[in-house]
Amino acid sequence: MLRVTFNTLFRNTLRDVQRTGAEFARAQQQVSSGKRLQQASDDPTSAATGLQERSELRAIDRYRGANDSVDSRLRVVDTVLSDLISGLTVAQTRGAAGRTTVLTPEQREAVALEIEGVRESSLTAVNTSYRGMYLFAGSRSTTAPYSRTGNTVSGYQGDTTVVSIDIARTSSTAVSVDGGAMLQGGAAQDVFNTLAALAAAVRSGNMTAIDTGLTEIDAAFERVTQVQSRVGAALSALPGERARLDELRRASDTRRSQAEEISLSAAITEMTRAQQAQQAAIAAAGTNQQVTLLDYLR
Amino acid sequence: MSLFGMLGATARALEAQRFGLDVVGNNLANVNTPGYTKRVADLGAVAPVDRFSAGSGVEMLGVRAMRDRLYDRRLFDELPLEQYEAATADAAGLAEVALGSPGTSIDNALADFFDAFAGLADAPASSTARQQVVTDTQALAASFKGMASRLDESAAAADTRLRGEVERLNALTERLASLNASIATSPVSQTLQLRDQQIEVAKELSGILGTQVVEIANGTLQVTTRTGRPLVLSDTAYPVTASSTPPQGYATLQSNGVDITADITDGRIGGLLQVRDTLIPTYKRELDTLAYGVATAVNTVHATGYDLTGASGGALFVRPGAVAGAAAALTVNAAVVANPSLLAAAAVASPGDNGVARQLANLRDGAIVNGTTPAAAWTSLVYRVGADVNRAETERDSRTELVQQIELLRDSVSGVSIDEEAAMMMRFQRAYEANARFFTVIDETIETLLSLKR
Repeated sequence: MLRVTFNTLFRNTLRDVQRTGAEFARAQQQVSSGKRLQQASDDPTSAATGLQERSELRAIDRYRGANDSVDSRLRVVDTVLSDLISGLTVAQTRGAAGRTTVLTPEQREAVALEIEGVRESSLTAVNTSYRGMYLFAGSRSTTAPYSRTGNTVSGYQGDTTVVSIDIARTSSTAVSVDGGAMLQGGAAQDVFNTLAALAAAVRSGNMTAIDTGLTEIDAAFERVTQVQSRVGAALSALPGERARLDELRRASDTRRSQAEEISLSAAITEMTRAQQAQQAAIAAAGTNQQVTLLDYLR
Repeated sequence: MSLFGMLGATARALEAQRFGLDVVGNNLANVNTPGYTKRVADLGAVAPVDRFSAGSGVEMLGVRAMRDRLYDRRLFDELPLEQYEAATADAAGLAEVALGSPGTSIDNALADFFDAFAGLADAPASSTARQQVVTDTQALAASFKGMASRLDESAAAADTRLRGEVERLNALTERLASLNASIATSPVSQTLQLRDQQIEVAKELSGILGTQVVEIANGTLQVTTRTGRPLVLSDTAYPVTASSTPPQGYATLQSNGVDITADITDGRIGGLLQVRDTLIPTYKRELDTLAYGVATAVNTVHATGYDLTGASGGALFVRPGAVAGAAAALTVNAAVVANPSLLAAAAVASPGDNGVARQLANLRDGAIVNGTTPAAAWTSLVYRVGADVNRAETERDSRTELVQQIELLRDSVSGVSIDEEAAMMMRFQRAYEANARFFTVIDETIETLLSLKR
């Protein structure tokens, strides 16, 4: 039989009160902070999972931000391309209208001025900048793709490098356009010179030159529409990518939350249990050795 | 035995019961004295003088302490292991606190750093984006430096505690030596309380470092370290000195001029040494590897790029040539800080290109720190520290349980039970009453005998 001594009882009681007290404090802290882990040592594996998911969340947020930025930038590009296309359409119809011998010189002049207006608006459109970056200069975003001195438009000032932005770990989207390839491509001259030549041909009634001009504008129209359909395709792919990123984010955040945070109902239940255990331990300490043999000695 | 002889024997019996009460009183007085072992009054029957005598009463043989040396020995063995884990958990816990909480520490600085490059890729010519990269790069370097210095502080804190333990150790060995001296020169019957203290001191010593305790025939304790270096021999204490040693100025322990630091593998000193010399240096090495890996990979990619003026990129980080100390020494190239347009974001010499900025942003997922990503390397460091502390805490708890079991058993032999003492008190009191009554009876018998003459 184990001899129970005063010290044994005292030591055991003290230990139980301390242990249940520590458990209660821990449960209380979990409930008040909402965190399951106060330190990595509380559960190293969960702490590591939490950190991994946090890093993943930051990566997803980055791609999500890039996605929004690409979206707004491509919308500007798309608008500019629409402007260019409608300008070229005007030039086509006006050029075709000028290809007749029945027009008076005044009428020819009016058509020529309209074509020159298209040239002007196309130049403004292609020199559009967004947040300080020229969109149609390849990677030379700090230089306007075309500049004008007097009535002369310079050659293409940009380069052929297309700038892309990563919108996911495995995919990127082009956000700048090689203006030179779009407005000249393999042709002998760029669209501005073509429009100027067309206006001059209409003014002088040179039918052969008008035909050449119209053919070249058709080719330019083709190139611009091609670019726009590429941009449109990229734009329409973005919402799907965003949805995928949002889905990934939710999944990652759920895993992080499971690793780091408490389930409130479970934590409160645990706190109540710990509190009862502590109260029981304290109550037991109170009854400890309340009665000894000494009470019965006369 | 004659009636007068019986009177004498009864007087001795009364004395014996008083003695018993005295021992009970002493036990009750010391019920809360640490290390006190329950005393028992040893009484013996005195042999009869001839065959017509029942016996010559009782005699007091002495006081005995209820000590079980096996439990003392088990405590000397277990305490160093328990205290080792406790000190490890405490000191490594400090390093764990230094790591900071998720989302506010290096993990965040790394994510901000790579995000800044993603921002730069979005707008390579923007001065705001460039300034953001510079700011976040400086913040990352500062985080590494701060973390390295906090880990150093944790190691320094362990060292300070270690010196405190050494002082305590020397005070205890000094005390044990003087107890040994008193015990060796006093009669055995008067050394019981000294022996209680002796065991208590030896027990405390075992918590500080692992010892070998041998009891010599004259009752003195000889205490040596586990490897046999003397701490207390007879009445001489051999102090351990803590002397500061370069490069960090941490204490090494010397006994009699011999370095015994490496010999101490348990007790609180062992735990503190383990944290200071093994665990924290390991953490620092991982941190250095992370800082070095990130700086090297970033510099390599950055150098392939072109800055806003079209010139080739230089180094973004200034880092030491070796991994050791990289976290503390990492800084940002001052030229880039002064002029953010020197950041090389472009893969071709064109201000709007973002090829290199994209590559730098994607280093987030690059296996650039010992074959893992920077975030994974940080996670692994946090896991390692957490797991070390967790292991030490778990181990400490189970060792504490073991020590408590041994103390429980020890108490069951040596502890004072109030109920038991109450019973003993009653026993001696009743015996005293009975003997006193007997004395009266003998007295009356003698009176009867004397009255025969009248």
